[in-house]
Amino acid sequence: MKLLKLAAKSAWNRKISLSLAMFSIAISILLLLGVDKIRKEAKNSFINTISQTDLIVGARSGPVNLLLYSVFHIGNATNNISYASYQKIAAKKRVKWTVPISLGDSHRGFRVMGTSRDYFRYYRYANARTLQFQHGKPFVDVYDAVIGYEVARALNYSLNDNIIISHGIVSSKFAEHDDKPFRIVGILKKTGTPVDRTIQVSLQGIEAIHIDWQSGTRSGLKISAEQARKMGLEPKAITAFMLGLENKIDTFRLQRKINEYRAEPLLAIIPGATLATLWQTIGNFEKVLLVVSALVLMAGLIGLLTTLLTTLNERRREMAVLRAVGAHAYHVMLLFVLEATFVVAGGCVLGVALLYLIQSVIQPLVADLYGIHISLCLLDGEQLLVLGAAVLLGILFSLIPGLIAYKRSLQDGLMVKI
Amino acid sequence: MNPNVIKLHNLRFRWPGQAEDILHIPDMQIHQGEHLFIQGSSGSGKTTLLNIISGINCPNAGTVQVLDTALANLSTIQRDQFRVDHLGVIFQQFNLLPYLSLLENVQLPCWFSHKRKAQAGDEAALRLLDELQIPKHLVNKPVNALSVGQQQRVAVARALIGRPEIIIADEPTSALDTNNRNRFLELLFSEANQQGSTLVFVSHDPHIAQKFSRVIELSDINHAGETII
Repeated sequence: MKLLKLAAKSAWNRKISLSLAMFSIAISILLLLGVDKIRKEAKNSFINTISQTDLIVGARSGPVNLLLYSVFHIGNATNNISYASYQKIAAKKRVKWTVPISLGDSHRGFRVMGTSRDYFRYYRYANARTLQFQHGKPFVDVYDAVIGYEVARALNYSLNDNIIISHGIVSSKFAEHDDKPFRIVGILKKTGTPVDRTIQVSLQGIEAIHIDWQSGTRSGLKISAEQARKMGLEPKAITAFMLGLENKIDTFRLQRKINEYRAEPLLAIIPGATLATLWQTIGNFEKVLLVVSALVLMAGLIGLLTTLLTTLNERRREMAVLRAVGAHAYHVMLLFVLEATFVVAGGCVLGVALLYLIQSVIQPLVADLYGIHISLCLLDGEQLLVLGAAVLLGILFSLIPGLIAYKRSLQDGLMVKI
Repeated sequence: MNPNVIKLHNLRFRWPGQAEDILHIPDMQIHQGEHLFIQGSSGSGKTTLLNIISGINCPNAGTVQVLDTALANLSTIQRDQFRVDHLGVIFQQFNLLPYLSLLENVQLPCWFSHKRKAQAGDEAALRLLDELQIPKHLVNKPVNALSVGQQQRVAVARALIGRPEIIIADEPTSALDTNNRNRFLELLFSEANQQGSTLVFVSHDPHIAQKFSRVIELSDINHAGETII
């Protein structure tokens, strides 16, 4: 106990250099835990984007590409698939449900997705959660639209507002389906997935707005919204579709069958498997970040070591006095270890406090800007392990000046020549 | 006759890596209660002798008996404990730890020794400081507010607290002017007498030798370096 008091008072005497060392350790702990937190949150929201869908089917391209454009609405489909093929596969007896996806249009930067009402019934995210309505209900009419949480918030839309859909992904004044406005009939609750940034309409709606268009431009023929409504709005092609099976056992068999489909080149992917592949690619980047932050922690600890080593000479007198009043040589070493423990433990506490502070400050911001909810949870086992390892490393590092002081105080004794 | 508190016999010491002994003392005895002055020039091995008596360094040969205990029979940790239990030490200068208050500096030996703590009681530190003429208002001040003379007297208080049997002083007056030096010695003697402590004082300064009850010239008892004929 007396030694603890001595170590504390001695450390306090050198509080400026030690608190700087402590601060650099706090920063590196903050970085390490922060990167870890972001990594886990990102992975969570990534993996949570889609669940309980057995297969996603699209035109033949790469699996990651198909996953990106169909689920994350990143990039574009290389090709469409025919509606006939979709119907044929959807009619197979082991298939429980299908949800068609038709992409290609947008509204003020938000993607418009044509789909069926089954979307609201079968689409699952974050461990089997279904889409919930904040206001309104699914689309019924051809010109009904259901908008995601983020769309409503960003554009300040409410029910019964009319929206004009633009042709293509980049909105341009020259390619707007302004003759056929859509009415908002539903606003979804927040999901933390790309759904929040999507406008859902029926496949018929997509068909209707393109009925008088040919290869990306308006044709001379003008067909009004009401006229279109009366025409056959059976789609000829869709971008992709999601599919659920009666029994998961059939997944691989059906996947193979679809991949060998003769009528047109199709690709079926298992979303979970492709998500994992994709995450491995992105995950490497996260690992690099983690390694960098671990190195920053090492730098912090080496800074502490430097601080301790530079005090060795000025503390020689102190050690001789302590030896004269009965301190053992191992007491002298313990003083260094205790000091390092104070500094590293203090750095850990400070780092964790900073982490929570920053989290609580940016939490509303991140939720607003990216729709990612950062939960302010307790440190998990892995993070506690990191803190424990930091303290342990600090102690190990302090053994270096500790042992030097130990050896010196055995030699020096009461005779210190400075 | 007073019993011997320190007995050296056939002592030989050399630093590791050195070819010659720095100390070779065939026989030396220090009696209880005496004020011994060991005089020697710089580098003659005075401090080394104190290191050996206080159990920090071990001789290469011979025996060291302090208070009827052969230091060679003790482990390093036991020697450290023995030192704080029975010896008070005063250095040339920088005796005090800057991060402790004056009072804590005086009480430091009691932190490491139950024996000293028990013998000191609660008021010893304040009483000693008072007797050593340290003004009361300085007691809770940081030690660097003190003059060198005051610092050395605080060091005496620390060496004396808990009534150790032996006080060892390594040139404690070399940083003091004549006035301070004389006052320091007077106080040191009277306090040592008061609690019956034996005083072993080493210095190169022959001017203060006459104040001691016994004076030893280190070169007289140290046979190291002498050619064997």
